[in-house]
Amino acid sequence: MSNVIFNRVKEFLNRFPPFHFLDSTNLLTIAQVVEVRYFAAGESLFQKGDAAQEYFFVLREGSVHLIDHEYGKDIIVEVCDEGDVFGVLALLGKRPYILQALAKEDSLVYAIPVRTFDKILQENSRVSLYFAAGFASGQVVVRRDLSQVQKARSEFKEMSQDNGLMIFTGQSDMKFSEDVLCVQQGTSIREATIAMSEKGVGSVVITDSKQFPVGIITDKDIRNRVVAAGLGYDVLVESVMTTPVITRRKDAGFAPLYLTMIKNRLHHLIFTEDGSDQSPVTGILSDHDILLSQGNSPAVLINALMNTWEVSEMAQVRNRAERLLKYYLENEVGMEFIANIISEINDIIIQRAVQIAKKKYDEAHPEASKVKFCFLSLGSEGREEQLLRTDLDNAIVYEDVPADQAEAVQAYMLLIGNEVIDILLHCGFEPCPGDMMANNPKWCQPLSQWKQYFSDWILVPDQKALMHATIFFDYRPVYGHKALSDAMTDHIYQEIAGKSVFLNFLAKNALLNPAPLGFFKNFIVEKSGEHRDKFDIKLRAMMPLADLGRLLVLSHRVVGINNTFRRFEKIATLEPQYKELMLEAGKAYEILMRMRAIEGLKSGSSGRYIQPDALGKLQRQLLKNAFAPIDELQRIMSVRFQMEYFNR
Amino acid sequence: MGFLDFIFRKKTSKSDFVVQYEQFLIKKQSEFTPLDQLNFTILDTETTGLDIKKDYIVSFGAVKMKGYRLNLEQSWEVYLDAPLQNEASLKIHEILYPIEISPIKDFAADFLKYIGRDIIVGHHIGFDLGMLEKILKSFGLKQVLNPILDTQALAIRLEQGPHFDRRLMRKGEYALDTLCERYGIPLDDRHTAAGDAFLTAQLLMKLLKLAEKKGIKNLKDLMQVY
Repeated sequence: MSNVIFNRVKEFLNRFPPFHFLDSTNLLTIAQVVEVRYFAAGESLFQKGDAAQEYFFVLREGSVHLIDHEYGKDIIVEVCDEGDVFGVLALLGKRPYILQALAKEDSLVYAIPVRTFDKILQENSRVSLYFAAGFASGQVVVRRDLSQVQKARSEFKEMSQDNGLMIFTGQSDMKFSEDVLCVQQGTSIREATIAMSEKGVGSVVITDSKQFPVGIITDKDIRNRVVAAGLGYDVLVESVMTTPVITRRKDAGFAPLYLTMIKNRLHHLIFTEDGSDQSPVTGILSDHDILLSQGNSPAVLINALMNTWEVSEMAQVRNRAERLLKYYLENEVGMEFIANIISEINDIIIQRAVQIAKKKYDEAHPEASKVKFCFLSLGSEGREEQLLRTDLDNAIVYEDVPADQAEAVQAYMLLIGNEVIDILLHCGFEPCPGDMMANNPKWCQPLSQWKQYFSDWILVPDQKALMHATIFFDYRPVYGHKALSDAMTDHIYQEIAGKSVFLNFLAKNALLNPAPLGFFKNFIVEKSGEHRDKFDIKLRAMMPLADLGRLLVLSHRVVGINNTFRRFEKIATLEPQYKELMLEAGKAYEILMRMRAIEGLKSGSSGRYIQPDALGKLQRQLLKNAFAPIDELQRIMSVRFQMEYFNR
Repeated sequence: MGFLDFIFRKKTSKSDFVVQYEQFLIKKQSEFTPLDQLNFTILDTETTGLDIKKDYIVSFGAVKMKGYRLNLEQSWEVYLDAPLQNEASLKIHEILYPIEISPIKDFAADFLKYIGRDIIVGHHIGFDLGMLEKILKSFGLKQVLNPILDTQALAIRLEQGPHFDRRLMRKGEYALDTLCERYGIPLDDRHTAAGDAFLTAQLLMKLLKLAEKKGIKNLKDLMQVY
């Protein structure tokens, strides 16, 4: 045992997630069992399809590519850097590797034994959540980029109290049924199925003569192993059941039980008196129970939204989503995942609101209600970046109708727009100060008028047009006929193709945003008013990036990518010479989004104004670092779109 | 004790663990064992000075490596009960309050058990070995019987070829720090025995890969220069 060496390993691991969530003792436990491995360039750590090793990996030094092979081609899925954690999917599910890991350079790798980490995973909910969230978003590498943001967060906020995985759930008791349907071996499938049907349950536990569990049959088994397999109904339960069964004590605690189910891909976990299968059945926990226990999990929230017509209940769910957001932010869940979840919830609220509106008005407007329309989210919600319930920006586009119906149809569309806005305000969203909402007749128009709007903005890009462009070019269909919004997109690209001057004006607009830092590298703060001495993170840092992202996407005629950070990721592939810069810009935007959301939650505001003095030194530096790509991008765009010429 | 002992002026009788070690080492590893099947013990010592006769080992650190895998569970560090008067050395190594000092005899026995039949590796290993053998001598072991590999010599051989005239070497060109930097091994705090053993082990893995590329395939090839 060498403490010197353990400490070195420990110090290294402590710099990266998820290890920095661990306390010193746990970290030491891990450091003591690490295996240091060396791979020369060109060697594989594991092949796709290899059985999972007893280890997962942290890259200490060098470079490792994770590669997928499809149709005889190698596709690099991830490039791992120092501190990146990989080979973890195999850790949770004990499944074969889904990718090949290839050392691109000579690489030193720390291999961490699963058996040791498993214990820590069960005891530390923050680490397990970190993994769970990563998997949910399809991540194959645990990234270290977050660690910077993590640092920013830790000084921003105190951690919510850690109550194990239960904090995820918002309630402290786990629901499961104690009244378990059991039949003895020797029972026929017919009898078992009848018993299930009488009891209205989806599974039946098979016991031996001592009432000890030996197997389980579910609805799915009856479908797959009996009916589809062509067996008769007199076949005995023991020939169809899944056996042996995994059993636990019911007081084993939520987190370990949950992880047992995840790892073994169980839909049902059987409780027995002493936890072994040599003891009577006392209960059963289904994955549905788990879902219900997770009161604030995205799945439950979405489910709740889809099953209500009550506006007050929708408002409640949206409040719960905000708690989820807070928890995600505190726990370093990836920004793309957070943004996706929150946007999805917002979208469902909007969809529900439109449905409610239609229910209310369709009967009285039999003709107009048949007209196809599409509800569009604009601005930040259109970019799937609206984490907090800040300004609503939206619009309605509907198909062109004969002139004699125009008035009636617009009247109907406005009723829908009004109702939706009402519901959204009720759910805690703020109205748009510029009135760019679907209940404004100007922004509730047929397709031909929208095409006209866009043509006008592109043809005569005056100041007002450019202001509109920044909001209206980030539209996204949320409800209704997507073909209408696709038609708008086609129209826009056709119009832009002929008039490159529009992009130049758009570029000019993108460069108009005031610089975030002064001559002495100090933050430029508001000089007067309510937000005096505060820094406007939206105007001075986020908008410039969003504007640049939009400009680049339009200039490359990219369709369907609305996230600013995903736009930069896309541009990185289109402009390989600026790859690093574009990726940095995307990362910077994620950091800014996170900072703004955290500030907003803290102060109960839009999070737009940040007090530089209240930031720690590290946050200030982080924020300043995030400005670097803005400056550089603006200079590049200025040359590309010949701004010098325009300024003359 | 036989009468010959007097003729050879042997002061000490062989301790049991030395006898055991010598018997264990009679069986040698096959010369054709490939590199990735060989067991290595990589070690380093920190001493009160550079004179093998006068100075003492203060601390000892070692790790084991096989098949390009270092298992940290098998790492070992020991602080020894040596006179700590030499201030110069204290300044270099900053070992002021060694934790849990081991008696020399325990260390000698543990050491022989730990190394087994492994190839013993160190940077500038001759010095460490001299220091260790001084301890072992008092328990009746004349010399360590394991194969010995010097990472410094190996690096020179791989980079300059077997016939390189060492007088042409620039000072410090093959020091542990310099080599680690050259081979991209992250340097942490230097000058602890265990820390340096850990670095040397990582260097060894890189050098062995390089050796394999140059056609050094087995124990025989590896030991050829010595």
